[in-house]
Amino acid sequence: MATEYGGYMGKVLRINLTTREVDEYPFSDRERELFIGGKTMAAKILSDHFKGTEQPFSDENMMVITTGPMTGSGAPSSSRFNISTLSPLTGYVTSSNCGGNFGYYLKKAGLDALIVQGHCEKPTWLEINSGKVIFHEADDFWGMKTGATQEALDEKMKLPNGRVRKNGKICIGPAGENQVLYASVVSNERVAGRGGVGAVMGWMRLKAICASGNKEISVKEKEKMVAHTQKWFKYLRKHPLTGEQLPKLGTAGLVSSMQMKGLLSTKNYSEGHFDDFELISGERLAEQYNIVNKGCLTCPIRCSRTVEVEGKAVKGPELETLVLLGSGICNNNLEAVLRWNYELDELGMDTISCANTISYAMEANEKGLWDNGLHFSEIDDLSAVMEKIAHKEGIGAELALGSKRLSEKYGGTEFAIHAKGMELAAYEPRKAVGLGLGYAVSNRGGCHLNGGYAVILEGLGLSVNPTTYHGKADMTMLMQNLMEMISASGQCLFTSYAFFPAPLMSHPNSWYTKLVNAVLPYCGGAVRILNKFPEIAAIHLPVFHHTKGFEYVTGMKMPFGRYMRCGERGYNLERELNRRFGVDATKDALPKRLTDVVQDPKDPNSKVPLEKLKQVYYHARGWDDNGLPTKKLLQKLNIEAK
Amino acid sequence: MVNVQLYGVARLQAGVSSFTSEAKTLKELRGMLPNITKKEAEDLVVLVNGSGVKKSYKFKDGDTVVFLSPAGGG
Ligand code: SF4
Repeated sequence: MATEYGGYMGKVLRINLTTREVDEYPFSDRERELFIGGKTMAAKILSDHFKGTEQPFSDENMMVITTGPMTGSGAPSSSRFNISTLSPLTGYVTSSNCGGNFGYYLKKAGLDALIVQGHCEKPTWLEINSGKVIFHEADDFWGMKTGATQEALDEKMKLPNGRVRKNGKICIGPAGENQVLYASVVSNERVAGRGGVGAVMGWMRLKAICASGNKEISVKEKEKMVAHTQKWFKYLRKHPLTGEQLPKLGTAGLVSSMQMKGLLSTKNYSEGHFDDFELISGERLAEQYNIVNKGCLTCPIRCSRTVEVEGKAVKGPELETLVLLGSGICNNNLEAVLRWNYELDELGMDTISCANTISYAMEANEKGLWDNGLHFSEIDDLSAVMEKIAHKEGIGAELALGSKRLSEKYGGTEFAIHAKGMELAAYEPRKAVGLGLGYAVSNRGGCHLNGGYAVILEGLGLSVNPTTYHGKADMTMLMQNLMEMISASGQCLFTSYAFFPAPLMSHPNSWYTKLVNAVLPYCGGAVRILNKFPEIAAIHLPVFHHTKGFEYVTGMKMPFGRYMRCGERGYNLERELNRRFGVDATKDALPKRLTDVVQDPKDPNSKVPLEKLKQVYYHARGWDDNGLPTKKLLQKLNIEAK
Repeated sequence: MVNVQLYGVARLQAGVSSFTSEAKTLKELRGMLPNITKKEAEDLVVLVNGSGVKKSYKFKDGDTVVFLSPAGGG
């Protein structure tokens, strides 16, 4: 539906793969005001359809691919798009976010979002050119890895003059085709990795989507936005996290800090330190392997690395891959991690879930629960194992199920490191208990970012007491709402780190930083007031450029308080949606290793006091004792309950 | 003699990952990091044998001193 707001293309297209029908899906300006875009827009669309009886691999499921109003607006790090669907890994709604250029080209094609339903008789790829949808057979591409698929698509997009029409694409690899439960969707070198969105696409027999066009992405107040963007870029470049650590070392730069703070998941999260951490560190990656830094469109942070694998320049590993395929399986061979990272992207498989499933299997073998031939620190055959997972051959067919299902079959649920069926990220939460809460309550399962990333306060960035439960629930809620809205608007979550004033980060030994670290846990009450009544912050914060930028692009009034309220709405909407599929307090759980066993025998607090944290968190959110949003809260947030 | 280790962006700036030093105090050592000014060194996180110490800390022989630049998101 046409829109009066800038930043939106005013069109959502629904494609039924079974009938090949294509129609416009109504999405009004009122809905844009409430549900913005990205994952929240997708949750709204799914919420209007899902009753809670749908199955992930069925025609009742749908894949909603959304951009946000900031996508392609020229704002920093604004190339993001999102894929939401009913996850085959968790059985709940998942959202998977990705950079690259597909989101930008989807908008250039004239669309804010795509809804894909049904399934194809034969492998198919979709071409979307200026809003027109063309179905193509993909028999030739089926079986191809993601790199070859994208090259083949570019061949198809060649113009009569031999040049490739500018386009953005997403595709799956063999893992998606074979419905590995944690298969990813790949776009250029970037990956929508989590929750098995690639498996759903594979079930649909949809190999790829290629978007192109030359529609203009409108910006309401262009001149103001240009000036604001310049300031914003400058601010991000000066900030110690977005201007120093991430550009110079990438996310990999955290390995050393995590080691020092006991946060480095080691040997399937049984420890928080790895003796050989230097060998898998971001510093070593930068000094010996990095060829060049890369970034998504319009990103000043440029956190992506390019490394050489067997003579080929390929994307380097993110922190998660480095840790979980490094210390996580007691491996100190960095070159092997670089190779696996490339191979997993080529196969179209989430590196986090794959690594944690392998480390679960290694421990199950070590404990005599499952004789599977996998051993910690023995890595020679792992490339072959990954290939087998993607093709569901031999032991790969079992590993393709993820750690939760395997632990239910073979035992060892206490060391199957997942939440709601999705494997945890690289941070060991017993030395960052706020993050532990975030993992447990996160809507999509064990995710540090959807969980609110409290670890940035608990040892990385700031140094708030990492094992106290004080203040953590309220801060987690604040961060979750903030990140939810950044994501919905189409920007990268890494821009949120600049929310923390630069002096606090760059002067960790100053009296004021020490004061903030000491008092923050006792500011839960103040944070709660802001969480409950965000509208009191009817201003734009000087450290947070997102709100003004949003206003200049869309023309919608968006002071900080309203921004936070939109984030809260998004978080609750996904929770309400997942309630229909059975989420409640009992599903906000962590494996016993993390809640019942201390990481450090000398520190009785080095475990996640989850039940205590959950109680405070539910109360802060205004949820009932069963961890569900009340009718009153949903009404207040304009969310329809079913 | 103390063992000094550098991590994060500070290590890239210093151009070395570790060295030994005869410095007697933390204050003195802060002025001895290669390619890093004393002022810049004041903004690095310091751990001695894995724990935080006071500014006025006096080294014991064999201490391991870690300098770490602020880190954040991933
Ligand atoms: S910070 Fe990294 S992931 Fe985010 S937009 Fe920039 S390059 Fe992409």
